[in-house]
Amino acid sequence: MNSKNIDNKSIRQAFADTLFELAVKNPQLYVVDIGLRPSLYLDKFAARFKSRFIEAGIAESDAAAIAAGLAAGGKTVFLTSFACFSPSLNWGVIRQSICYNQKNVKIIGSHAGLMSGDLGATHQMLEDVALMRSLPNMEVFAPLDAVEMTRILPVIAHSPHPAYIRLPRVSTPIVYPQKLSFTIGKSQILKPGKDISVLGYGPILSELFVDDFKKYSLEIINCSSLKPLDSETILKSVKKTGRCLVIEDHQKNGGLGDAVASLILSSGLKCKFIHLGVNDSFGQSALNYFDLYHYYGLSPLAILQALKSLLNKK
Amino acid sequence: MILLPSKKSHPLQPLARSLRLDILEMINHAGFGHIGGSFSSIDILISLYNSGVFNFDKDHFILSAGHICPALYAVLAYEGKFPREELLTYAQFASRLQGHSNLDTPGVEYASGSLGQGLSFACGLALGDKTHHTLCLTTDGEHNEGQIWEAVAFANKYHQGNLINIVDCNGYQLGGSTKEMMPLDELASKYLHFGWTVTTVDGHNFYALEKALRTAKSSTIYPSCIIAKTTLGKGVSFMENNFEYHDVKKLPEDIYLAAKNELQKY
Repeated sequence: MNSKNIDNKSIRQAFADTLFELAVKNPQLYVVDIGLRPSLYLDKFAARFKSRFIEAGIAESDAAAIAAGLAAGGKTVFLTSFACFSPSLNWGVIRQSICYNQKNVKIIGSHAGLMSGDLGATHQMLEDVALMRSLPNMEVFAPLDAVEMTRILPVIAHSPHPAYIRLPRVSTPIVYPQKLSFTIGKSQILKPGKDISVLGYGPILSELFVDDFKKYSLEIINCSSLKPLDSETILKSVKKTGRCLVIEDHQKNGGLGDAVASLILSSGLKCKFIHLGVNDSFGQSALNYFDLYHYYGLSPLAILQALKSLLNKK
Repeated sequence: MILLPSKKSHPLQPLARSLRLDILEMINHAGFGHIGGSFSSIDILISLYNSGVFNFDKDHFILSAGHICPALYAVLAYEGKFPREELLTYAQFASRLQGHSNLDTPGVEYASGSLGQGLSFACGLALGDKTHHTLCLTTDGEHNEGQIWEAVAFANKYHQGNLINIVDCNGYQLGGSTKEMMPLDELASKYLHFGWTVTTVDGHNFYALEKALRTAKSSTIYPSCIIAKTTLGKGVSFMENNFEYHDVKKLPEDIYLAAKNELQKY
């Protein structure tokens, strides 16, 4: 199984390009960078908008509170780093200076998930969604692909709330339907079906679009708005299918699966449920992240087994 | 050396007495509060708001050490930001005067409680508003936090002449003396080496504080640090330099009355 027939594009590049366009239109848009300008593809931004590109150096906590202070003056501030550093190292600063103080800072956490491959466990941030969805006032988003990135960013830039946006490192397949728009708090049905609701976020969902899954009637739901979560769309689908598979490149603990399971149980719906995610362990290096997906039970094969299990479960 | 007049003769001295009494009433009524640091920092806050050097309708004040908010609340009530009677709601359920500073309090620009973040926030604020000054109050104990030094380096890099950090150096923190907990000798020298201008003053002398504020205000490209040497629990003899009065619960009646008696003569 592979996705070789689908074009791969960089979500990171889409982020940088879209941010540049937004900054042309909005003179109050700032970037506070944490020493990773080239990795976030922000060289062009930094060169064009010198006074609006603030380089805080490798100092995540300082940078987060600086971003909050700038936002206090009415700016829209993007705080850019890798997810394993921000929001990981500076979570307490995000909690107090951004969330509790209700400051309009958009935290960009790149290199999230096992997709960071060769960098190994320290850089494969698998706890960011759990950390961020637990914070009051914080909204959490994870674009499916480069196209959705271009849709999400302008919407979030106009929203006055703190937000976290999770980006992967590698280029990933484009599966987002061109006609779809993005709304905060709404998930999109990428493919309607009647037997199993498959929920996830980020490029891992592209695994569902290979030929092997065509024989199943899957309702594939893109939960790019992780918080607020679209409970209406999710429950409507689960009510119809009675089966739910949640897949995420993240720890099972505190991830989307926990949120969806709680939602379904609280609603009183009866549903067969499988949650695929990293099970309370760290990642490791691999030159191709597919090896990691295979090892940690997130490969198309693991998905196939989960689907069969859901269909056979009584 | 220019000799300043006796500090007792300063017109703000009566305010230093009455706001200390307000702090005592607030904390005694709540049965909770960081009294030692509130007494060490109150003169700094009085000077900030009443010496006419800055105007906080335009300039910014960030209290980084949120636990000494009783001192800030006393000053803000005196400023007329909210009724003085409201001070007695400090730390109570549904009060605008939370146990650590919070945006619900009129006049408060930054909610704090976790130490070491306020100076970074002040850097961001000063960067976004270069036409006014941003003042930050930190403590010596707070300088244990590495984030403080990240902010100190940042302010130098961005030539933040409109940023002033006042350090309340009372020599104590929750667990003991700052020397014992984590020595930060030669704090002035550290700031100087980071590219700041530094003034060291008696943090209970309104003449000296005003002079330092005026000097700091005149800085153009260098961020300014005012090291205010203060006394923990200043004004109540048995609280002074006694870290057991870093924070208190309900004061025994005799302790409360003894403190009140001393403060009335302050």
